[in-house]
Amino acid sequence: MKRAEYKIPGGKLLAAELDVEKDTLVHVKISGDFFMHPEPAIIDLEVALHGRNVGEISETVHRFFKENEVTLFGVSIRDFVTVLELCLSS
Amino acid sequence: MTETWRLIDLRIEDAPTQMAIDEAVAMARLKHGTPNTIRLYRWNPSAVSIGYFQSIEKEVNLEACKEYGVDLIRRITGGGAVYHDYNGEITYSLVAPEDDPKIPRDILASYQLICGAIVNGLKGLEIDSEFKPVNDITARGKKISGNAQTRRHGVVLQHGTILVDSDIRRMFQVLRVSEAKISDKLIQAVEERVTNLRRYLDREVTFKEARDALIKGFEDTLDITLVPGELTEPEEQLVKELHGKYSSHEWVFQR
Repeated sequence: MKRAEYKIPGGKLLAAELDVEKDTLVHVKISGDFFMHPEPAIIDLEVALHGRNVGEISETVHRFFKENEVTLFGVSIRDFVTVLELCLSS
Repeated sequence: MTETWRLIDLRIEDAPTQMAIDEAVAMARLKHGTPNTIRLYRWNPSAVSIGYFQSIEKEVNLEACKEYGVDLIRRITGGGAVYHDYNGEITYSLVAPEDDPKIPRDILASYQLICGAIVNGLKGLEIDSEFKPVNDITARGKKISGNAQTRRHGVVLQHGTILVDSDIRRMFQVLRVSEAKISDKLIQAVEERVTNLRRYLDREVTFKEARDALIKGFEDTLDITLVPGELTEPEEQLVKELHGKYSSHEWVFQR
């Protein structure tokens, strides 16, 4: 399992866990002390990433936030991409 | 005439009950037309609450919690891990509709307002503190309060901790701050980042004194009168329903 932590400028911590099989994400877990409303949207984001090719992370994350009404506080869309890509290259 | 909000005053309950009450008050606000509410409460037994998105194993020393009889709970709000020391901490919560004219729609502005009530309350105790975005309040550069907000059921729910006389050594035994074994030196370093009312004032501070100051802070800042009240019947019913979720292994260990 790949793991990465990313300290967001401003103080919050974002962590990711990934399992990759044949360039496909088969396990995605995101954690940290950020804020997202509604909170269960994090599970939908993980589900959206599940089964995606490793090259589609940025696109999938951006599309998720475009298509879903989610409010972020203390974290940005870019931060999610950053921690996932950090995790991938760990 | 100033607006009246309900005060649910210094109620002592265990962790699942406290979290169930906060969610029940938020759920009932619009559904059952219950009043805007400020709660002050303490946790018995002492407990660690972690943010909705946090990994419990990363944030909490589970063995230390077991050893010291410290309870574990996951909040519905994001944010960080908090040690709620029965003998040294007060938690508050605030519930009001998202479109209440007193509550800014902007999330940062609403934190600023509600944390401002805490800052004003502390001022009454001659503590000079300030709101530090994203969600902290510091005094002399050290954290004295942490806060977390969610918006659901059409309402704002914000809760937060005020460190009155928390056992800061125990706090860093139950919270995982670093993988490194906590040496006295490290304790000193983390202690430097956290304070409490007693340390700041260098004198005993009673819960009554802290409670009175916080109530005045909320009343003055929000221009409201707090009237002591109880949970309504529908809220009590919701608390019973939600208690099971908060005490379940699936909820607490989900991440």
